[in-house]
Amino acid sequence: MPTISCSERDLLALIGEELDRDRLLSLLPLAKASFDGEEDGKLRIELQDTNRPDLWSCEGIARQIRARLRGALPAYPFFRARPPRAGGRIEVDAGLAAIRPIVGAFIARGVRVDEATLVQIIQTQEKLCEGYGHKRREAAMGVYDASAIAFPVRYRAARPEEARFVPLGFEEPMTLEEILREHPKGREYRRLVEACPRYPLLEDAAGTVLSFPPIINSRALGEVAVGDDNLFVEVTGHDLQVVALVLNIMACNFADRGWKIVPITAVYPYDTAAGREVTIPMDIACTLEVPLAGINQALGLTLAGKEVRELLRAYGVAAQLKPRGIVRATAPAYRADYMHPADVIEDIAICRGYDGFAPLMPAAFTVGGLAPSTLFADRVRQELVGYGFQEVFSNVLMSREEARTRLRIDAPLVEIENYVADTYAVVRDRLLVSLLRVEAASTKAQYPHQIFEVGEVAVYDEAAVHGSRTEDRAAALMASGEAGFSDMHSYLDALMYFLARDYRLESRDAPFAIEGRAAVVRVGDKEVGVIAELHPEVLTAWGLEAPAAYFEINLSALA
Amino acid sequence: MDIETLARGLHPLEIRVLRACPERGEAEEKQVRSEAGLEEGQFRRAVQWLLSKEIVAVVREEVVETIRLTELGKAFAAKGTPEMQLLARAAAMPGLTVPECTAGFDLPEEEVRAAFGKLRKLDALRIAGGGVELNQGADIGPFERVSALIARLAGQAGAALAALPADEQETVRSLVHKRMRAKGVFYLERATNLVFALTAAGAEVRAKAFALGLRGEEVSRLTPEMLRDGSWRGKTFRKYSVDFAPPRRVLARRHPYREFLDFVKSKLTSMGFVEMRGPLVECEFWNMDALFMPQFHAAREIHDAYFVKAPTHAARLEPDFLAQVAAAHENGGESGGRGWRYTFDRERTRRLVLRTQGTALSARQLGLGALVPGRYFAMARCFRPDTVDATHACDFFQCEGIALGEEINFRTLLGLLALFATEVAKAEEVKFVPAYFPFTEPSVEAHIRHPRLGWIELGGAGIFRPEVTYPLGVKAPVLAWGLGLDRMAMVALKINDIRELFSRDLDALRTRRLELELY
Repeated sequence: MPTISCSERDLLALIGEELDRDRLLSLLPLAKASFDGEEDGKLRIELQDTNRPDLWSCEGIARQIRARLRGALPAYPFFRARPPRAGGRIEVDAGLAAIRPIVGAFIARGVRVDEATLVQIIQTQEKLCEGYGHKRREAAMGVYDASAIAFPVRYRAARPEEARFVPLGFEEPMTLEEILREHPKGREYRRLVEACPRYPLLEDAAGTVLSFPPIINSRALGEVAVGDDNLFVEVTGHDLQVVALVLNIMACNFADRGWKIVPITAVYPYDTAAGREVTIPMDIACTLEVPLAGINQALGLTLAGKEVRELLRAYGVAAQLKPRGIVRATAPAYRADYMHPADVIEDIAICRGYDGFAPLMPAAFTVGGLAPSTLFADRVRQELVGYGFQEVFSNVLMSREEARTRLRIDAPLVEIENYVADTYAVVRDRLLVSLLRVEAASTKAQYPHQIFEVGEVAVYDEAAVHGSRTEDRAAALMASGEAGFSDMHSYLDALMYFLARDYRLESRDAPFAIEGRAAVVRVGDKEVGVIAELHPEVLTAWGLEAPAAYFEINLSALA
Repeated sequence: MDIETLARGLHPLEIRVLRACPERGEAEEKQVRSEAGLEEGQFRRAVQWLLSKEIVAVVREEVVETIRLTELGKAFAAKGTPEMQLLARAAAMPGLTVPECTAGFDLPEEEVRAAFGKLRKLDALRIAGGGVELNQGADIGPFERVSALIARLAGQAGAALAALPADEQETVRSLVHKRMRAKGVFYLERATNLVFALTAAGAEVRAKAFALGLRGEEVSRLTPEMLRDGSWRGKTFRKYSVDFAPPRRVLARRHPYREFLDFVKSKLTSMGFVEMRGPLVECEFWNMDALFMPQFHAAREIHDAYFVKAPTHAARLEPDFLAQVAAAHENGGESGGRGWRYTFDRERTRRLVLRTQGTALSARQLGLGALVPGRYFAMARCFRPDTVDATHACDFFQCEGIALGEEINFRTLLGLLALFATEVAKAEEVKFVPAYFPFTEPSVEAHIRHPRLGWIELGGAGIFRPEVTYPLGVKAPVLAWGLGLDRMAMVALKINDIRELFSRDLDALRTRRLELELY
């Protein structure tokens, strides 16, 4: 979830009303935002909705609150503006179709950039491109001083060793290849382009490089400073919807601060989702038709059509009432999250305020209960506590060394490919390991030790659909100067008696047991467990100071 | 406690000590003990008890030093000290060479050599011309005195050092730590001899005990023999001091965190929820795809799920809803929505992961056929790649569930959460704020005012998107919820480190208790 910081003053100025702190915080839920404290005199605000990038900025939060306070739709005339005359254009090369096909841009002018705005531009750019744009893969943004650019701008596919320019942060011209190799941003993002034979490049009509998208801007044009009042904002990516959404959000953010937005048209030699001439900002608004009855049923209310229309409007959504009780809701062009009527219904609920709903107890009668496997497992737990065994409860992730080497076992088990620490790298396939982990940490605890665990293990099994079986197991271990096979045999015998299972032991050595002091437990023709006196080498490997014997039963096979 | 209660509560050993105590004045430990006829251990225990009850008080502690002969000392006593033997040999056979003179004693060689050296140094023996000679004029008094002292001590078990004349005391001290000798001739044992006296209250207790006829012969333990032969009749049983701290016993108990989870489970079943169970190793299909999390979703990247190394993919999907779920992602399918609009990866959906959320079980339940109306819950072990510390676990429990029914709507969703808040979390107040989950719309987060923790998040919930339910064949509204229990569990267990929920320390497990009234 993105977290942004913004100044309270700036936020209130954008909302356009003087609100005290409590009132301001009480309005944050409208933007699925929560106050996360203050830092350096700024508010830290966490945004919940990963599908609403328009809210990930001071301007976006203010916009959502402003709509509610004014009950009116914000006006962004540029979404319906006519394409500009030739000049403010981007010409796209055919070669980009297979590399990074989409580019879009607009110009914002008329206000001077101040320090606060600059910080917000950079923050929003980072949230949109790193978060929503999947680390620049789907959206990479450049902001430039438009006054220095000679239009039309050209978006072309350049050979890695051919094009040269001075990237931000460096003094000398470098080829695109050198940038990927030596520039910190080049190293960070090169995976996005290095597989391509040619790289994307933005140049102006005079041949001056704007940037090497999605890597780095040029020093010549790609550096915005306080005082600039004419900005060129450009985004490249793969999906026109995403590129347009990001630019629409940026355009609205500038407009909210009083900037005038001038659209730019990109001209493609290939087809895009919106044809070969695409003007940005672009109206990508999505309209959904929702029956009023469905809204009321989902919310448990009896709202009139007009109330729904007003609530949607106060949430920034244009709504029309159609015949036969249909509500036509059109999301604003800075949102792309309308996928289903349910999304419209949530907007109505949020705008109305969750605290305005009276909770209602579901009245239907249902019979509750634990799963049969849990009931059986709980029975076994009760038995073992009664026999004098202390219950333990463990993590099921552990190191391979614990689950294998220290038990002298070498069978496959469920391993994690992308583990973070090798102490949490495999899933236990027997409870013995968990019991030994307790013993290893408890050599100072008064003996005798009698411990048990009932819990899940994942047993590697190539024949199983998921390559493993999850089993409920019960295992008990005794450690003391006198502990031995026959002690645990007595407890196993009692357990099987009270569970009413006829069992027999069949002598079979186990790698972790003393030779001749291990057996498998059989019920009918099924092997359901193991009983063993642990081998001194195993005890030593675990750093244990007392002899130990144990049994382990597969409850899933026994139930 | 009053005098009579104290008197009646006296242990027979205590009474025997009191009987041996003088009524007034000081009592010396050793004397009292021999008079009471008690073994040292019994006696010391009884005195400790009397001291703790302030029936007697310590007047002072005397250090008593007792001398005993060591093994070497005993050998000297039997055969004479090496000094005296050397003097005797030199007198009887003058002119022996040094080796001749020192050989043949049944004593450690180094003792004999040391004795010879000492005698030469004091000029009692001289080496002149042919050999060793006795100096008749030398003072051999000290050697004779040591020899006599050793002989005297040989007859006794030990002697009080203080009882010896001053010069002998000095001799003993010098021979205890004698250099060059592996073992000294004497042991010096230091023991403290307690000198105590009855306190004023103690004198009354003693008098009372005697007046009550307590003789220290009351029956302490009722034995099976006494029951069998009836010999308990006519006997008095000693009265116990019932407020003595009992010894700690090592007992077997349920694990306190499981006890907490058991409690929550019992609450949920009492509210009509049926438990769901499922595999630890899950495929992305049930873990994410069936929940309408797009395959490009940020929460599906490498750092948000543990991927299984081998086999990497499920052999097949069971039950098989692939076509329906893929359609929901691509174009909404029959759900009435337009979908995420991308090409669903039918290979990736079988990718195996360790279950990251309990909601996977809810999805499975819908696919397997859930009752309408119906309520389900799971206490599911889940996994997320995380660096483990006091507040982060990579292997933890989630409590999640669903409720199905034609009556399910946004208000009944809040109603059920309010019920959880009072029943499970004992909250005094609950408030609801908008939230986001990819699989629910509307979504809500419930915050509760906890009596100890203040406002905390109880959990998230929402109504499953039709893109989740329709592909799995469920047309009725489904409410999905998840509760965050760990903080409440930690309060009830009085721990601050999340790792201690799964503590491996047996001592901690044996003593940690669950205080359900705390959370």
